Amino acid sequence: MSIDSTTRTTKSGSGHKPRSVAFTALWPSSVGLGMRNVRNIRRLPSAFLPSLLMPIIQAVAFSGTFFAVTQIPGFPTDRSINWYLPLGVILGCGFAGIGVGFTTVRDIESGFYDRLRMTPVPRLALITGPTLGALIRALVVTTTVFLVGLLIGARLTDGMLGLLMLYVASLGVATLGTFWGLALAYRFRDMRGAAIMQLTFFLALFLSDAQTPLSVMEGWLHGVARVNPFTNILRLGRQGFLGDVTWANTWGGLVAIAAICALTLWFAVASLNRLRD
Amino acid sequence: MTAVVARPSSVDLEPSLGAQTWEMSKRAIIALARQPALVVPSLVFPLFFLALGSSSFARAINLPGFPEVDSYLDFGVAGAIMQGVLFGSVTGAAALATDIENGFFDRLIASPVARPSIIVGRLAGAMAFGAAQTVFFLVVLLPFGLNVEGGVLGGLVLVASGTLISLCVGALMSMMALRTGSSEAVQGAFPLLFILLFFSSAFFPRQTMQGVYGDLAGYNPVSYIIEGMRDIVIDGVSAWAVVRAVLIPAALCVFTVLLAMRSMNKRLARG
Repeated sequence: MSIDSTTRTTKSGSGHKPRSVAFTALWPSSVGLGMRNVRNIRRLPSAFLPSLLMPIIQAVAFSGTFFAVTQIPGFPTDRSINWYLPLGVILGCGFAGIGVGFTTVRDIESGFYDRLRMTPVPRLALITGPTLGALIRALVVTTTVFLVGLLIGARLTDGMLGLLMLYVASLGVATLGTFWGLALAYRFRDMRGAAIMQLTFFLALFLSDAQTPLSVMEGWLHGVARVNPFTNILRLGRQGFLGDVTWANTWGGLVAIAAICALTLWFAVASLNRLRD
Repeated sequence: MTAVVARPSSVDLEPSLGAQTWEMSKRAIIALARQPALVVPSLVFPLFFLALGSSSFARAINLPGFPEVDSYLDFGVAGAIMQGVLFGSVTGAAALATDIENGFFDRLIASPVARPSIIVGRLAGAMAFGAAQTVFFLVVLLPFGLNVEGGVLGGLVLVASGTLISLCVGALMSMMALRTGSSEAVQGAFPLLFILLFFSSAFFPRQTMQGVYGDLAGYNPVSYIIEGMRDIVIDGVSAWAVVRAVLIPAALCVFTVLLAMRSMNKRLARG
């Protein structure tokens, strides 16, 4: 069944159906499903807290452990936290998105998803709704980690424009993380998918210039990181902590986010359409 | 007249404490071998991070505070062993918690098995895995240019150290398993181990750290164990290196094993 066919079926047979059922639109359905996702923060904090605490611990731990790395000639900042804070934010937002995949696996296993698919909600809302929820979670993560970062010495080098770039990168990663998590949840329908979601995202992120800039790297990782689109996304998010915001440091990240989001959205829609009873 | 009552043969054949412990250890080891999905991450991730570090921090070994070392691979192998053993030890303890959750622990208690063998067997399994992990890391990294200056003797000291660390952490995590009876709670200790590892000199020398972070790494016993292991890799076997790599975890083991046994007795007393 395609995404459109559900909506068409509902409309074509809507002669005696209540208006609210016959005309369930994408946006209100998405908002409803998104709010359900957000409410789970309060109802199931143990599922959300790791995605909030992990980037904080990671940013603090990396900037402390690798404090001296900024002394390597060519390192673009003298504050290690300025380098590792955006990494922590993007890691946390990616996991906030992937967390939607975990929730979906649980919903599929408990049978809730079957009931959801029987409602007259547009199929696309099953993807856009949780994505809205993930974006709200990502806003919380980015803001919290940024504030903690400020407390331990992070400084913006190009004012609010730099902060805006961090938000763009983090929300982009949360979006692609959500699409990827949903696609794998639909494919695997059990917790095997959860392990693959985490592992692939983790590998993709760390096989980039996550730990040191390309100019400082040596050996095999340099070749991999140079072509890894996550290097562009990290450059986009980091530029406001390393110098001025420039178009040269921006467009590559935007293209990478758009391309990965398009691919993962296509994969998620195809996987959702394959989801059978 | 005194009546002589023959004891049932089953009592005569009751295995000794050593035999029971051996059987319990075998069960723990086989359980790990049968679940590669639980074991593989603690083998692969430390190697992955070390491979990343070798490329990312290749130039960092020239910074002030670093010891004289040929490559970051030589510097980082001790941290990789510690990382693998720390995270691997959680797996064994989580299995103990699962035994409690699914009722197998209660059936063991109902059987005539000696109580200490239950926990000792589980810890022996953790030790065997810790030793195997250390050997695995050394064997895999040798072709990539790892040079253990301490030679075969140094390698054996590293294996002894890895074994003792896994006993130490395994006992600590088993204590948590016995107290909570929840595998989720044991797995939840992962961030604690992450902090213990990262707030140490596992990846960079303490001499390069500053402020509160440097102080915390200085208080963390993990730093000293890793530095002992690192000295064996970089400089060779020395008494001071063996004291830090082997005796510190051995001393900590006494403490954590006692805590685990105490938790076991408390659980038994609770019924």
